[in-house]
Amino acid sequence: MMHIGTGLVCGAKIKDMVQAGFHFIIFLADWHSMINNKYGGDMEKIETAGEYFKHCFTALGLTEDKVEYVWASELASKPNYWERVIRIAKTTTAQRAMRSLPIMGRDMKTQDVETASLFYPCMQAADIFEMNLDVACAGIDQRKAHVLAREAGDKLRWEKPVALHTPMLMGLAGIQRSDKGSYDEDPKLSSVIAAKMSKSKPENTILLHDSPEIIEDKLRKAYCPPKIVEENPVIEYYRLLAFRANNPVTLDRDQKYGGDLKFSTYKELEEAYKTGEIHPQDLKANMARILADLLRGVREYFDKHPEPLAQMQRLETR
Amino acid sequence: MMNQEQRLELVTKGTVEIIQPAELQRVLEQKKKPRAYWGFECSGKQPS
Repeated sequence: MMHIGTGLVCGAKIKDMVQAGFHFIIFLADWHSMINNKYGGDMEKIETAGEYFKHCFTALGLTEDKVEYVWASELASKPNYWERVIRIAKTTTAQRAMRSLPIMGRDMKTQDVETASLFYPCMQAADIFEMNLDVACAGIDQRKAHVLAREAGDKLRWEKPVALHTPMLMGLAGIQRSDKGSYDEDPKLSSVIAAKMSKSKPENTILLHDSPEIIEDKLRKAYCPPKIVEENPVIEYYRLLAFRANNPVTLDRDQKYGGDLKFSTYKELEEAYKTGEIHPQDLKANMARILADLLRGVREYFDKHPEPLAQMQRLETR
Repeated sequence: MMNQEQRLELVTKGTVEIIQPAELQRVLEQKKKPRAYWGFECSGKQPS
């Protein structure tokens, strides 16, 4: 199921881009998913998941009159596509291509990797040039693939894209110590990827379809040390999700604990949390309410269009 | 209609990195409708 990192962080950025006048393509990377052995590489299942993604973004307001949806398989069926992949592959080394795969653990050995994986970053670059893009957007974990694309552009004298990177959203349990440092030689990048990876456990992440009750329950169990903002996922959700719209944020609080608190900026909230003025329970309960609000439209959409969600659920439980 | 500064602010808002900001500025200055994308792997298990 889609989680809020994809739905709300990527979704909001795409809306910004559309508002700023971009022709925006949401690219459903079916071929890439196959290389990455999603659903055992079963293209039919991957397409079901892609259709579901399309519905999720539509539910978030990215309808087909605002963005264009393109499947990787459509692009790959163009006559020059694979020539482009090969030309890009010729500009780089196998080692670089390997290192551009964020799914690879640092300790992963070449002999454990399918050769098909080496195509992955070359295809990412080819997609960008084939679609004639000015800007390539992704989470920061994709930065090496984008750098590879830019360097290929320089070498091949193709106009290279601007790369725009968003933060990865931490899982609700925070960053697990054991995960740190195992994904990338850059410790900072490794810890953001670790934070992303930790979300593969459903209890550790908010899904787009979670009911307000489930959101509340997950938040209640979230890691949220008092007065500490570093690696605190709940306060990070305020920074990245609640204050995004540039609106002030009001925390509802019981009169006996001092009543409601209003903050015009994230910094104000952060300072108040550091001094202990806000209790973790209030921070969590209010985030649960804010997320339930942000996801209301998605819940209503899938109430009206239950089939794509049901199909996806069947895939996931199999 | 937004001016260039507002467009740039909107595009860079909430990002951790732009490679390169000067190039982005040029794109916005030169093109009314520049092209951008975001690629997603199609799977529920792998967060992207």
